[in-house]
Amino acid sequence: MRNSRVAYPLTWRVMDMLENVCARIWPASLHRLLPYLMLLPAVVLVGLLVLGLFQIGDASLRVLDTSTFLFSEDYSLENYRQAITSGFFAVVASRSLMGSVIVTVITLLFALPYAYLMVRTQSSGLRKFLLVALFLPFFIGQVVRAYGWLIILGNQGMVNEALGLVGVPPVRLLYNYPAVLFGLIQYMLPFAVLMLAPALTAIPEELESAAGSLGANWVRTFRHIVLPLARPGLVGAGLVVMTLSLTDFAIPAILGGGSQDFIANAIYDQFFRTSNQGLGAALSLMLVAVGSIMVGVVFAVFGAGTLAMTGGRK
Amino acid sequence: MNLSNGARESAAAQAAVSVKNVSMRYDDFYAVRDASFDVPKGKFLTILGPSGSGKTTLLRLIAGFGKPTSGEIFIGGQPVSAVPPHKRVIGMVFQKLALFPHMTAAQNVAFPLKMRRHDARTIADQVERYLELVKLGGFGSRRIHEMSGGQQQRVAIARALVFEPDLLLLDEPLAALDVKLREEMQLEFRRIQKELGVTTINVTHDQREAMVVSDEVIVMNDGLIQQRANPVTAYRTPQNAFVANFIGVTNFLEGPATSVSGNEVAFRCAGHELSGISVGSGPEIKAGMSCSGAIRAEQIRVAAAPEKLADLTFRFTGEIIDAIFEGERMVYEVNVAELGGVSFRVFDHDPIGHTQFLPGERVLVGWNPKDMHVFGNNHSPN
Repeated sequence: MRNSRVAYPLTWRVMDMLENVCARIWPASLHRLLPYLMLLPAVVLVGLLVLGLFQIGDASLRVLDTSTFLFSEDYSLENYRQAITSGFFAVVASRSLMGSVIVTVITLLFALPYAYLMVRTQSSGLRKFLLVALFLPFFIGQVVRAYGWLIILGNQGMVNEALGLVGVPPVRLLYNYPAVLFGLIQYMLPFAVLMLAPALTAIPEELESAAGSLGANWVRTFRHIVLPLARPGLVGAGLVVMTLSLTDFAIPAILGGGSQDFIANAIYDQFFRTSNQGLGAALSLMLVAVGSIMVGVVFAVFGAGTLAMTGGRK
Repeated sequence: MNLSNGARESAAAQAAVSVKNVSMRYDDFYAVRDASFDVPKGKFLTILGPSGSGKTTLLRLIAGFGKPTSGEIFIGGQPVSAVPPHKRVIGMVFQKLALFPHMTAAQNVAFPLKMRRHDARTIADQVERYLELVKLGGFGSRRIHEMSGGQQQRVAIARALVFEPDLLLLDEPLAALDVKLREEMQLEFRRIQKELGVTTINVTHDQREAMVVSDEVIVMNDGLIQQRANPVTAYRTPQNAFVANFIGVTNFLEGPATSVSGNEVAFRCAGHELSGISVGSGPEIKAGMSCSGAIRAEQIRVAAAPEKLADLTFRFTGEIIDAIFEGERMVYEVNVAELGGVSFRVFDHDPIGHTQFLPGERVLVGWNPKDMHVFGNNHSPN
């Protein structure tokens, strides 16, 4: 017995020793706790955010006294009333909501063919090119990218100079609603493609061949086979794009030039410009509520299973 | 099989499918090389071959997934190279079935009717009729993932047939099934094909399936058609060593030919003069040419006493290496030292009536020259 023990390779003995040490520190009876322990960091992180939400909830109920710049001791719904009745916030809110819907629809329209081509192409060169083109913008960052659009689309920018060469007077391409939407779509496209690609990969190519042999041309194959089966990916990508663009700050700020504020910009102004934390907090909570309702509606219409959460039971 | 020229032409005219000199090349690799054959209306043809033999490529070309590099395919007499799959009226059962998971069984079967714009009022009846044909009446509202493997097979067949195509293509749909279910489905394919009389092309690597279901078999290897015959002919008179080896269990003996007279060929193997018949389509065998003699495992007999093999021309002593009892037959592996130590596989189809030999026992093996097929060696027997 002893002899055979000596004959073990060194690495085995080291591993045995480590195992023994581990068993001392973390006895087998505690093994069942391990998964929960591993969950802890995520729970703490989200939990901290919820604590912050309570803080914001508290702040949203206190009114700023503009003469003393102090917050009232007692609670009131004044901030919410102001947020709802003020024409300015109504404009900002509808601009953000409509913007996020438009951005979502156009982004999905653009992302679906891109992801489809990337998944289905036979040429590995083309696939690599599409992937690199997709990831490159991620390395640049949102603010730099928005600044890039300023250079390209500005009054003295490349586009206007090119137009000048053919005798067209400078066009104002920036600081308007379409410019913000354009910037958002360009920013969201990679997210949408990355979420759609796995959903499309999961559709066996044979299904499309089968649809063809059963008499469906490519349009009908796409409508009856690819689209229904890609629904989980479409819903997931749509949700991400919608919530991200609804709450975006940098693109409306830079490409809108202050004239096209989204909700996040309005909240920023309340917190850091007018220092009305109460109103800012009320707006924040309303944004959270609107976002949650949107996600809830999507789940109610398409089912939570569309996010592939019940995939295992299929 | 022995049609005169005129008869052959009229057969081609009424062929459901006619493949003419079709080649398919990928870069410098030929998946299919100069394939030509006709499938008469209502016949069940199986393309049999190992993986990589080009059989699936050929089937997909007929279905319209890809265009041949050269040659032309005719369906119902019309060239179809320029016709996309959805405009060819071909039912196809795919290897992985390719049922639509987001639809019920009935919706799957109704899909081709909807795509082909059949009258909406007749679709439900037609779907039910075909579900009954495949013995799935009443299962229409089941989802695909709620059905067993065999039921899914049946849905796939119903879907491929419901629009009454001129041609049914089967791309190894039975490969993934367990043996029992596979054999059941083979008979089912045969029954449905006979009932509807639809021309069918089946692709498989399973020689048993090819024998069971087909009117005719095409054996393929390396992109080339090796032989086309009915199952019995293909088994009895293989055209070359590949077919002899691929269909059935065959033993090979090699050596130079010593004399040829008519279709009788004598050759020398390990100092012994052996003979057999030459039936192949390969090059004519001349004296001195290297050749292979092929003999089926069930054509060799094994016995302990020489008088039991008195009716056999060739007899050699050997030693049992392995003896496997398979129930309906005994499989022996016999080492024949007299023939240079070749190993023979020998079947004894009466394991209860005959003595069973054990490994290590010395035995005699014997056969008749009429059972040995001799092929000239330019196709290597592998």
